[in-house]
Amino acid sequence: MASDDIKVATFVSHYGAMMFRKRVGNGAELKPVPRSLSSSCGTAVFFSSPFSEDFADENTEAVYEKDGDEWRLVWKR
Amino acid sequence: MKHEEKVKLAIAGGLIGLAAVVLTAFGNPGNMGFCIACFLRDTAGAMHLHNAAIVQYVRPEIIGIVLGSFALGVIRKDFKPRGGSSPVLRFVIGFIVMLGALVFLGCPLRMVLRLAGGDLNALVALFGFIAGIGVGCIFLSNGFSLGKAEKESSTEGVAFPALTVLLFILFMAVPSLFLFSETGPGSMHAPVALALLAGLAVGAAAERTRLCMAGGIRDIFLIKDFTLISGFIAIFAVTLIGNLITGSFHLGFTGQPVSHPMHLWNFLGMFAVGLGSVMLGGCPLRQLILAGEGSSDSAMAVFGMIAGAAFAHNFSLASTAEKGPGVNGKVALVAAIVILLAIATIVTMKKRREG
Repeated sequence: MASDDIKVATFVSHYGAMMFRKRVGNGAELKPVPRSLSSSCGTAVFFSSPFSEDFADENTEAVYEKDGDEWRLVWKR
Repeated sequence: MKHEEKVKLAIAGGLIGLAAVVLTAFGNPGNMGFCIACFLRDTAGAMHLHNAAIVQYVRPEIIGIVLGSFALGVIRKDFKPRGGSSPVLRFVIGFIVMLGALVFLGCPLRMVLRLAGGDLNALVALFGFIAGIGVGCIFLSNGFSLGKAEKESSTEGVAFPALTVLLFILFMAVPSLFLFSETGPGSMHAPVALALLAGLAVGAAAERTRLCMAGGIRDIFLIKDFTLISGFIAIFAVTLIGNLITGSFHLGFTGQPVSHPMHLWNFLGMFAVGLGSVMLGGCPLRQLILAGEGSSDSAMAVFGMIAGAAFAHNFSLASTAEKGPGVNGKVALVAAIVILLAIATIVTMKKRREG
């Protein structure tokens, strides 16, 4: 998996992250939110498949894509 | 990246452990270099909010922690005023967290410091804390959430740190406004400048690393991640070494400083703290850090803890050293745990129905 394929989604609640991971399917992982994205200590979902708005619901806050050493915002509620 | 975060957390934890050992050596009570619950309680007493004469003192550590978090948050652009996520529920949960902590006689941070001082009652409490977090995780996995926090004005975000500055100015300029314990834990304190500096350092370190006593165990349960727990372990390890060097390590259940050997109530006290902390999204230390970063929700939780401390002492709900809780404290704690479970169940069911 190339590093520029990595995406991370952030959420209002842990349950929101669980449901998002279920919708993304294989390869999606629950992990702590990267410190560079937020000072909160919530749960994020890391995934590599192309992002679809169908993955998101009212608990999804934002989706970022890895861009070199930075995270680039690709979707925000 | 994860390894780097673990190293930073271990350094922050080590700093807290070291600060705790130094503050105790310079006058803070035994195994109480830092205790967020005890220090909020002492500050509440100093402000005439309760009448327990042995626990009244404005603790500069609390002010330092909030301002350390605020300052670094502003510098690193983490200061984001936000709120509106069930403020009244957060007040109530904060109140209950304080009640649980005062039945055990310490917040999760002091639980680790007590453990590192050889106080085995803290081990019983740790089991209760883990159980409370475990139950909280079941609710989180089934939809529990206190709701999304919305952006707020910078005035709202600055209000809580500004209040701590005002408190410190009044404490320095007009000390006669406040009550000062002449005996007991409230009379034991490190010099003001040292306590404030230690608080500032701990606040900044905890803000940077997101260190949270409940979050580490929660992440192991929920996502099998061991990053946050490394801070918890580092605090224990450094304090243990410090206590061994200074001769402050005494293994046992009895004769421990500001402690009691009532196992059931130590377990249940920290069960309430564990469950409440998961519901709030962080332990009492973390609530101070988030309030410093501009979260009015966490400020509400802190106000709830201050009110809880005042009620706990005015209505004899808090434990006394060696004897543990009285009837009032036992009844109140059981009722509080029932209320916590009821809140968690109702909120979870409502979220599931909406989802």
